[in-house]
Amino acid sequence: MLNMKLKYKRQGAYTEERKSRTEKKSIIEAPLSEKMIYPMNMHIGKPAEPIVEVGDDVKMGQLIAEKQGFVSANIYSSVSGTVESIEEKPSMHGPHLAIVIKNDFKDTPAPALTSTQEDLTSQDKLSLIERAGIVGMGGATFPTHVKLSPPKGKAIDTLIINGAECETYSTADHRLMIESAEEIVAGIKELLTLFPIKQTYIAIESNVHDSVCALKQAIGDDERIQIKELETIYPQGAEKRLIKTLVNREVPSGGLPLDVHTIVANVSTVRAAHLAIQKGLPLMDRVTTVTGEPIKDPQNFRVRIGTPIQVLIDACGGFVEKTGKMLHGGPMMGKPITSGQVPITKGTSVISFLPKEEVKVDERTPCIKCAECLNVCPVNLQPILISNAYEQGDIDEAERLGAMDCIDCGNCSYICPANIPLLDNIRQAKTEIKARKEKSS
Amino acid sequence: MMSLQDMTLKMSASPHLKSRRKTDWIMKQVVIALFLPLLAAIYFFGIRSLFMVIVGVASSVLFEYGFQKLRDQPIRINDYSAVITGMLIGLSVPVTAPYWTIIIGSFFAIVIIKQLPGGIGRNMFNPAVGARVMLKVFFSPWITNWVAPGADAVSTATPLESIGHFSKTVGEEVPGLWDLFLGVNLGGNIGETSKLMILLAFVYLVVRGVINMKIPLYYVGTVAVISSIYGGYSVDYMMTHVLSGTLIFAAVFMATDYTSGALTPTGQTVFAIGAGLLTIVIRIVFNFPGGVGFAILIMNALSPVIDKYLAPRIYGHKKRPKVSLAK
Repeated sequence: MLNMKLKYKRQGAYTEERKSRTEKKSIIEAPLSEKMIYPMNMHIGKPAEPIVEVGDDVKMGQLIAEKQGFVSANIYSSVSGTVESIEEKPSMHGPHLAIVIKNDFKDTPAPALTSTQEDLTSQDKLSLIERAGIVGMGGATFPTHVKLSPPKGKAIDTLIINGAECETYSTADHRLMIESAEEIVAGIKELLTLFPIKQTYIAIESNVHDSVCALKQAIGDDERIQIKELETIYPQGAEKRLIKTLVNREVPSGGLPLDVHTIVANVSTVRAAHLAIQKGLPLMDRVTTVTGEPIKDPQNFRVRIGTPIQVLIDACGGFVEKTGKMLHGGPMMGKPITSGQVPITKGTSVISFLPKEEVKVDERTPCIKCAECLNVCPVNLQPILISNAYEQGDIDEAERLGAMDCIDCGNCSYICPANIPLLDNIRQAKTEIKARKEKSS
Repeated sequence: MMSLQDMTLKMSASPHLKSRRKTDWIMKQVVIALFLPLLAAIYFFGIRSLFMVIVGVASSVLFEYGFQKLRDQPIRINDYSAVITGMLIGLSVPVTAPYWTIIIGSFFAIVIIKQLPGGIGRNMFNPAVGARVMLKVFFSPWITNWVAPGADAVSTATPLESIGHFSKTVGEEVPGLWDLFLGVNLGGNIGETSKLMILLAFVYLVVRGVINMKIPLYYVGTVAVISSIYGGYSVDYMMTHVLSGTLIFAAVFMATDYTSGALTPTGQTVFAIGAGLLTIVIRIVFNFPGGVGFAILIMNALSPVIDKYLAPRIYGHKKRPKVSLAK
């Protein structure tokens, strides 16, 4: 087939789509695990602190670890059972303190977060979202209540609901939009009561038209909510890019969407907010795609947070070929992991397995200045120049070239025909720039 | 059943997938595209055209191999870039050019322009353009004997000589526009005569995502606009400028060269328009038919400066970043 990939400056790369294995598969309940693992660092910000002790009985929906400070999030048990241990366990970020709970399979529920759904003020609703431990479920895991707390003087007028699932294999949000459209729309309506929002968009990539139909039906004649079908291009779902594409605003360097009066929330996050406000439910489960060529029967699972990945691999029927890489996340931004004991956490939208032959390292050759890394950079950096500056030891130049503005999307390394580790070098440059800043302050 | 424990899992950082388009794939696309003008050359000028290109390719690849061997560098002839240079040189001379001129051109392009500054990706100037200009300057008697195809092989003046030197009209002796376009009864460098084949090659390279189409379009567009204004909006005059000489061939195959061109998106626009302006100035003011070669070489030399001042504005910043001259 003729591959129309014209060469020009664009807002991303046309990365390969591998969604076909799971996009038509309905969400199924994942099997329950006997052992549940809750790492304290499953969100960005300060890790939570355990408030249970070994031997304690816990109920489903009971708070087991408390947020520390503003940028942090509560963690709840997603099963009922007994605390078996509190120790270091493998997590997507390497070994980290985790609470391990032995499941009694009774699902004895803890009391809801709130006993009443009536007469909730905005403050009550925000507090429910905060207490429910909701974080950005698209993968960033940034605590949602922080995103919903604009500093004084920053009025929020725009809400963007992110359904642009641009990672290679991911179909979790796609399925959720089809199967839980009502809940998502209900969540959006809740958010609309919190701020004087003038424009609300649901951003969706044009390759998932069936979810558009489902959402349209759920929205009905509510004219406040508009669906925007966007080009299928990676990283369409990157927050900064979405804001620029939809409302033509640019988040200032080092700033947050709040700085341009905008809130961006993933569809799963919005659904979780709905469940917290309407049912008093803390964040206990999510939809996760488990997929990749080596997996026998890939699935979209509704899975309890804390379930070890191994349980899901087994539920998919195991492997049909050797895998070279297991990724927490997708191939563009995912973190490589090696242990099947790493659990599903709040931000796990996909676990991808790459075939062995796809993880070989190609030999690096000289840069031919093809300019493709510039063409695909969603924030208009010159990746090769940052990489060169880093390799020449000129960290000042790397900083002037905007290394700190890199959003880690991986497009530059993906596209480079010379196999130059552009993103690796930019990350190293960032680390050095940060280290120097800390030293001098 | 296979389990995770039986597998060695790699831990390298993201991204974990890579595009399959490698340097050699890109270069091969250009080689494929160059076969189109080569076929036209064989059709119009005979089988000697093929031998000329073979000599160009063989000598370019050998010089590259020899240089890298002598300098104990990794051998990179597999990236096909030397093949392109050799094809371009073979296609850049008239059918009467002795084979040794092609070999000298290859030596100059590969050794002097490409390998001495560090090889692929490190050369400031386009190797094939450098070789053309060098041959034109020093070996003019052997390579500017324009021969129109045909049994009687009469030497002809190039159309450019009749429209240069401040002339604003097209002389009688200039071939018709259709002949210029198709390459019929036209003297000149063997690869450049059939504009039709070059346009097909252009479409191929654009569709394959190998060249940025704005570079040839802005380049030729600039020549068209300026010549049109200068010629009192005469379409004949304008089209003669556009279709004559190396312009379209160089715009598609040489101005689009990555390494010697500009890196930044705006820089590429400036590069193309600048080359167009210089080409038309050299043609009209200096009455020098080789304008295209000099124009591209001058823009090659300017491109690092162009890129420095036209660094793209980063998302979330108000101004372009202040950067050093790329090394």
